[in-house]
Amino acid sequence: MAGVLLNNVVKRFGDFEIIHGASLDIADGEFVVFVGPSGCGKSTLLRMIAGLEDISGGEIAIGGKTVNDVEPADRGIAMVFQSYALYPHMSVEQNLSFGLRMNGNPKADTDRRVKKAAEILHITDLMARRPRQLSGGQRQRVAIGRAIVREPQVFLFDEPLSNLDAELRVQMRVEISRLHKELGTTMIYVTHDQIEAMTLADRIVVLRGGHVEQIGRPLDLYSDPDNQFVAGFVGSPKMNFITARVLERGASGVTVELAGGTRLTQPLNGPAPEPGSKVVVGVRPEHFGHAGKGDADLSVTIDVVEHLGGTSFLYASTAAGDDIVIQRDAAEVSDAPEITVSIRKSYLFDDKGRRLR
Amino acid sequence: MRYQNATAYRFLAPYLLIFSIFWLWPIIDSFLISFQATRTVPWRFSPTFNWGRLIGDPAFFNALKNTLLILVIQVPVMITLAIVMAVLLNSPLLKARGLFRFAFFAPVVVGEVAYSAVFRLMFNLDYGIINKLLNSVGLPSIDWFSNVTPAMAVIMIAVTWRWAGYNAIILLAGLQSIPQDVYEAATLDRVSKLKQFIYITLPLLKPIIVFCAVLSIIGTMQLFTEPFLITERGGPGGGTETLGLLLYRQGFRSLNFGYASAIAYTMAGLAIAISLVQLWLTRDPK
Repeated sequence: MAGVLLNNVVKRFGDFEIIHGASLDIADGEFVVFVGPSGCGKSTLLRMIAGLEDISGGEIAIGGKTVNDVEPADRGIAMVFQSYALYPHMSVEQNLSFGLRMNGNPKADTDRRVKKAAEILHITDLMARRPRQLSGGQRQRVAIGRAIVREPQVFLFDEPLSNLDAELRVQMRVEISRLHKELGTTMIYVTHDQIEAMTLADRIVVLRGGHVEQIGRPLDLYSDPDNQFVAGFVGSPKMNFITARVLERGASGVTVELAGGTRLTQPLNGPAPEPGSKVVVGVRPEHFGHAGKGDADLSVTIDVVEHLGGTSFLYASTAAGDDIVIQRDAAEVSDAPEITVSIRKSYLFDDKGRRLR
Repeated sequence: MRYQNATAYRFLAPYLLIFSIFWLWPIIDSFLISFQATRTVPWRFSPTFNWGRLIGDPAFFNALKNTLLILVIQVPVMITLAIVMAVLLNSPLLKARGLFRFAFFAPVVVGEVAYSAVFRLMFNLDYGIINKLLNSVGLPSIDWFSNVTPAMAVIMIAVTWRWAGYNAIILLAGLQSIPQDVYEAATLDRVSKLKQFIYITLPLLKPIIVFCAVLSIIGTMQLFTEPFLITERGGPGGGTETLGLLLYRQGFRSLNFGYASAIAYTMAGLAIAISLVQLWLTRDPK
């Protein structure tokens, strides 16, 4: 087992820079998830760790050894691909053992490793089948099995669940989590699905446009985001953003006025923006309360109500036209077309999306 | 539904009519003609006249031997060469890929008479470039068209030159359909490029290779142009006469249509039989 260190890693395709100096220290045995929208560079970063992409600058170290110029096979990693990348003409057993056989690994040891991986992933009954005779979930297990038999120091997963249906995705998510506990190996996992990131990760790395936006534990990112992008990306339904204007800075913090006249005072330790400047107030759906029971009240018009059983989501708009989502217990939802809610907890962002703390 | 079918068949009727007259009927008729003694006037039905002659005809067995010899040597060499060319064309290191693809495919587009004339000139005893090259490295000139073995070699070289690029382009399409991440997975498994080629590329390319081989077998069974034009009607002394050439000689020089039809059906039967054996040998295990 080994940790992974990225030090100011840069990737350029010609003059076009894709990754702009990513730095990250992944501890031995840690489960780290790279998350971000399409094109943010998360898969490229993973492929650079694997050695499938050259790095244009910086340093990558695995287990304390710089691997910038080390061949992919010698980095002690195993990778699970989005498309599984199984050898279509080989049986499951051959898929699992191929790499070991090609490298002259003793047959007894190969058989032992293949058997162990098959048992861990419950695919012992599928060993004679070809990939085309397997379901998506079974193929995914074989792909993970092929990574396990290598007994790597670091597992790399490149959006491994994105080709599965919703139910199977949840099931495989739990299995990967169980696998991490069982093997205790360092795992780096790429996804665009923030729910996968939140449920699997010890730490999440949020990427956007080749920049690392924030690194932290899932609940830390959720409750203490560094910027508006992270605040909006982590959490489902996403955080509501309501435009506001700075009124004044007082002893208890900064007071802002939301479009529609609602005033809200936020404690602030750092410098405050100039009075009159534009800011954004972020409120998570579950941080709206009943009128009069929070920091400020807000009148909204209800557009649509979604009942999910115990919880309901109210899709509403403010007087200024900001669309917001409110989470409520199903029993508390009325048919009233207009309601007043309180803001119990909120976040403040400047006009560049930076968090004001 | 029946009415709709009738409408569809009315639209198809012109094509089906032309197809029946110019394609289906000649095939059936030539089969019937193969049972006719066509050296007599009028023709008479005699099943053994042509088929009986075929079994004991030294010219037929000479042509069959020549055809099979070309098939056994030239087809494997050409397919191997085509695979190598396809792999090179697929290499990311290759510059001017479009130019090479065109160059490899160009021989198919060149007129048969023109390319045959060029090959005759290249292999000419006195002023051909091939003999000049042999002389330049100290080897004696070869009289390519007066001896059977060199004449056969010229035919094989010519056919390979003409069709290797064509097969390479088909194989290239097969190569490009193999997902890149399979190779990446093998790279991570520390599988060398050579082993990746042997254990991944070739097995995944097998259906395309078989397709090319079957096409080549059919083409070689019908081989006509090269022995007709390059070695001057199967020369020297019938040494490069193929089944296609024998068919032509019997049908259009001697006007013995019955025997020519029997030869044609034998060629088709052999092509089907060899292709089926090929497909059976290379079938996927269940």
